[in-house]
Amino acid sequence: MITLTIDNRTIDVQPGTMVWEAARQLGIEIPTLCYLDGADHFTSCMVCLVKDNRNGKLLPSCSTPAMQGMNLTTNDAEVHESRRASLELLLSEHVGDCEAPCQLVCPAHMNIPLMNRLIAKGDFARALEVVKRDIALPSILGRICPAPCEAGCRRKPIDEAVSICLLKRITGDEDRAQNKRYMPKLKSLSGKRVAIIGAGPAGLSAAYYLQQNGHQAVIFDQNERAGGDLMKIDADLLSPDVIDQEVAAITATGVQIHLNETIDNHRFEQFRCEYDAVVVAIGTITEGNPIFGLKTNKQGLVVDKSTYLTSEPHVFAIGNALRASKLAVRSVGQGKEVAEIIDSSFHTGEVVPRPERFNSKFGKLTEPEIQEYLKESVSAQRIKAGTEGFTREQAMAEAARCLHCDCRAPESCKLRLLSDQYGADQRRFQYDERKPARKTISPDGLVYESGKCIKCGICVRLARQHQEEFGFTFIGRGFDVQIGVPFNETLQAAFRKTARLVAKNCPTGALAMSELEEKI
Amino acid sequence: MAIDAKVIEEAVDRIVAEKGTEERAVIPILQAIQHEFNFLPEAALLRVCQYTKITPEQIVGVATFYSQFRLHPVGEHMIKVCVGTACHVKGAVQVYDAFRRHFNLNGDQDTDASGKYTIEKVSCLGCCTLAPVVQINGITYGHVASDKVGQVIDDYERQLVFSGDKKSKFRNADGTEIQGEIRIGLGSCCVASGSEDVKKAIEESVVDTGIRVSLKNVGCVGMCHQVPLVEVIPQNEKPTLYAHVKPEEVQHIIETHFKPAGTFDRLRNKVFRFFENMQTDTVWDGVKRYEIDHREKQVADFLDRQVPIATEYRGIINPLDIEEYKANEGFAALRKCLFELTPEQIIETIKASGLRGRGGAGFSTGQKWQFVRNNESDIKYLICNGDEGDPGAFMDRMLLESYPYRVMEGMVIAAKAVGATHGFFYIRAEYPLAVRRIRQALIYARERNLLGENIMGSGFSFDLEIYEGAGAFVCGEETALMASIEGNRGFPRIRPPFPAESGLWGKPTLINNTETFAQVSYIIRHGAEAFNSIGTSTSKGTKVFALAGKINRGGLIEVPMGITLRQIVEEIGGGVQNGKKFKAVQIGGPSGGCIPAALYDTPIDYESLINAGAMMGSGGLVVLDETDCMVDMARYFLSFTQHESCGKCTFCRVGTKRMLDILDKITSGKGTEKDLKELEYLAHWTEKGSLCNLGKTAPNPVLSTLRYFRDEYEAHIQGRCPSGKCQQLITYRINDKCIGCTKCAQKCPTDAIRYKPHQLHVIEPDKCIKCDACRQACPVDAVEIV
Repeated sequence: MITLTIDNRTIDVQPGTMVWEAARQLGIEIPTLCYLDGADHFTSCMVCLVKDNRNGKLLPSCSTPAMQGMNLTTNDAEVHESRRASLELLLSEHVGDCEAPCQLVCPAHMNIPLMNRLIAKGDFARALEVVKRDIALPSILGRICPAPCEAGCRRKPIDEAVSICLLKRITGDEDRAQNKRYMPKLKSLSGKRVAIIGAGPAGLSAAYYLQQNGHQAVIFDQNERAGGDLMKIDADLLSPDVIDQEVAAITATGVQIHLNETIDNHRFEQFRCEYDAVVVAIGTITEGNPIFGLKTNKQGLVVDKSTYLTSEPHVFAIGNALRASKLAVRSVGQGKEVAEIIDSSFHTGEVVPRPERFNSKFGKLTEPEIQEYLKESVSAQRIKAGTEGFTREQAMAEAARCLHCDCRAPESCKLRLLSDQYGADQRRFQYDERKPARKTISPDGLVYESGKCIKCGICVRLARQHQEEFGFTFIGRGFDVQIGVPFNETLQAAFRKTARLVAKNCPTGALAMSELEEKI
Repeated sequence: MAIDAKVIEEAVDRIVAEKGTEERAVIPILQAIQHEFNFLPEAALLRVCQYTKITPEQIVGVATFYSQFRLHPVGEHMIKVCVGTACHVKGAVQVYDAFRRHFNLNGDQDTDASGKYTIEKVSCLGCCTLAPVVQINGITYGHVASDKVGQVIDDYERQLVFSGDKKSKFRNADGTEIQGEIRIGLGSCCVASGSEDVKKAIEESVVDTGIRVSLKNVGCVGMCHQVPLVEVIPQNEKPTLYAHVKPEEVQHIIETHFKPAGTFDRLRNKVFRFFENMQTDTVWDGVKRYEIDHREKQVADFLDRQVPIATEYRGIINPLDIEEYKANEGFAALRKCLFELTPEQIIETIKASGLRGRGGAGFSTGQKWQFVRNNESDIKYLICNGDEGDPGAFMDRMLLESYPYRVMEGMVIAAKAVGATHGFFYIRAEYPLAVRRIRQALIYARERNLLGENIMGSGFSFDLEIYEGAGAFVCGEETALMASIEGNRGFPRIRPPFPAESGLWGKPTLINNTETFAQVSYIIRHGAEAFNSIGTSTSKGTKVFALAGKINRGGLIEVPMGITLRQIVEEIGGGVQNGKKFKAVQIGGPSGGCIPAALYDTPIDYESLINAGAMMGSGGLVVLDETDCMVDMARYFLSFTQHESCGKCTFCRVGTKRMLDILDKITSGKGTEKDLKELEYLAHWTEKGSLCNLGKTAPNPVLSTLRYFRDEYEAHIQGRCPSGKCQQLITYRINDKCIGCTKCAQKCPTDAIRYKPHQLHVIEPDKCIKCDACRQACPVDAVEIV
């Protein structure tokens, strides 16, 4: 047996055990991208460096054999920095988006590509589920939203953007036509209660997501109907029935709405005593509006931009109360966000910003890249909808125009996970033009996006291990090395036996099965 | 033009039958296929996979890893522009650009429209003293300037016409009636500078005049700045060494020294006994060549400071003459090791000598041998690392070419000491002459039972084979080198396990550098003390350096450890060329660093060099003068390592690329202070985090120049290149000295010079491509860089 010390803890391991494995036996997780149990080590990513305390050298733990008397540190500031540096280098040449540009542009951060794919398959019910994760009022927004997402759509410079807004509308409209409407999963009640002042898009949205998290949401509004500023919109564009039906779906979750209630400073102070949190969603602040003694500036109530917390503890403010805007989707998005922040504060006792996830971005598509992306789409023109929106068939055809810009592995991608964990900045070392984005799609469903490859060679080793006739190989060397099929054979020929295996074990989204939907 | 499938099949089958069907045969098979077709046709590779154990993954991985292999057809003639360090500092990039302009090549094109010529950059041809060097299908042109490109091509085309009927009239001189001996240097520098033609001319003269002399080839004498060298030794007279000899001068030389056979009356009238009288400028007028005398001061300076151990008997012995090697103490050490010393005693002697690895890292050779010896195994391998790839270094090449038996003797001794059963000469692809010599030397040695079964009847058996590298600098790293012999991409792997424990095919393996092996026989013959009495406390013996760059007398030198840089440059090298000011010495190649004038007195030993931010490396020593830009030097070396990175680990693969990006930005004047900080950050992490020593040492040229020449980086950030080197930061201008001769305008490839005869010429900056042709053409130094 070999005795070594890792992070001041001693362990005995069999000779031949690697440091990475020894640490794991101690319950110490060392990150790695290129190492795969059972597929040998290759020592390429260098994310698993640990420090040898005897000489200060950094060693790749995945392939350094444990030796008698070793004394290692796996997570001090220097080791941390080394991981960040290697991740930033990998990211500097990473050509791929974790999330699609449309989703990043959407103020509510809705998963648009996933909705599109579900609609294209005719699965309107699940498409609605996806929409409602972020947008509580799809039928309403589907009628009035100026659709900033469509400005961000990669399809726009090719012909026209995917008609995202109308697609969202049909998911809502389809649901409204059902007898049994969609009901989100509700967590059991936590006993916490939140007062929400204002039943406009922001307040309704906040209530909807708070309620789903088990916190009793109680809305107070001075008007006789819920909807706030939405009620002012021309009924031809947005009929009050649509508003009522969307509100009904929200109250169905248990949200209470008290109409015709004017909240003055006194009531407000009572709320602060009776409720665990108060959300001010009273719409644009004008002269004479009650502001409950909260701090304001020229635009409206002053809040911490990342938490929506006002100058008073437990009092949050969202929507037009912060700044007048015609963008209802922004209010809806803020409602969801504040709900998450309040939910987490109930669990942790602290008001902290929502963790911002790492997002790899690579910008505009070049002409050849457009052709690559069209491989996963159809070349049809944008479909014009009638006044009643899309028919199901039209919607399915339109949704199929989506280019699938989002990554297939947004959740399992280790590069994304670690970049989040180590605070890596993708743009730091982007000194040169980026490499081209490519998509290779095999008839058996395997998709290879070489721009996302980190050259760890796991796929090469697995194919070799399973004696694929062609497999994958390293082509070229140095910075320009590519991983691809020898002799320009097809992707299908490369992985006759191991397509699913390599897709599963690729540490990024470079190799994935086309049907993979991690966000469902 | 498609190659007939039958032809490919036939060739592949023949090659596979010869090279074998194992995985390890892949590189030799690919080399043979390329030799046959000048590139690797896909059909050939597919057929190899069909009939051998080699898989598509392996063959494509290997074929695309090594730069020797080409997957696409190329022009009939390959133009290789050397971009080694010495060539770089003398304008190789301008030469390369000039060739591209000559053939109208755009973008990625590398073959001219007619498909006749393909141009490529090569890392180092090892002819540093002839820089800049261009090689076209084996014909080497030295001192090529950007305005000489047309001439080079014209000359090459003329050579093409001649070579067909110019058959070698080799005639060995009759040894019975020796009138004297003529020695011709046949190292690569000599050959590159035309010594083969000189040799041919001598042979012809000997035939024509009937003079009976023994004509002898000798290895490199190290005076590469004087090549081609011919030494004439008339019987009972003192020898004369001729430098820069041209074929047409040969007859004069011979007539000067030797009495022609009676029938040649026309020669009788000539005074030939006192040859000195003939060596006047009036005889060979206006050409760059002169006689050198051993007693002459500069020759004495060049040679006297040196201590030949690896290069013992330099310029005296014929590289391939095994009897002569024996006559000069050759194989005496081997005999001693086979019959008198135990393996332990051999190792003790090597340990006591203090010999450290000459490949760069400087690990104790005796220790290494001990480790291999200690590891029990029925099979042990031994490898001579001759994959010298540093641009600006050519020690191994010279040793292999000139002293093949000495290197071999060291290897057999090592084999005996460690118990190795089989050995490899791993020789770089770019050294064809070394490969030919060693191949022949192996044959002669086997014939005399100095290799093979039961060597010299001692009962010890050991044999050697040659493994030709395929063009990958990283294969100088021992684990990558072994991967290459095994038939894989030259990916280094993590150590431990070290090769001494688990090397080639998992067996204990001894890998030493060529020069290390070349010093073994001396140590055995003369004892450890003779060796360790030379040098400093930590670095013993001698080190061979390739001295090149802006120096008066470049060449191959072997100096005692502890000698200072100043002594090397000023005394041996004769100082900086053209009266320019000494700025720095780049030592250790891409892994090394630049040592500035302030540290001119740094002694050569492993530790002092590391403390100075450089390293011994394999021994390239490039002298830089005031016109050399240190940021450009850092960029140059980094572009080399970046290009040679195997691409396995993140820090080297991406880190070196990003450092190069930043240096590109800085040398183009667009850099910022923040970029400089990021450069340092990346240099630090690439050094710390890379897997092998290629990556770990790649930042050294950057770190050392940042340490000593930070002001130059700052200047670039402010948009100035103080040395006037970085193209994007300089402009060419014609000053008042201009005499209106129009020479510059005639040379200008882009018509950027407005001129009227006898009036001041003017360069139009918009049209100027900064090729430097005008400056070189100007007879009065009126073209200046501002």
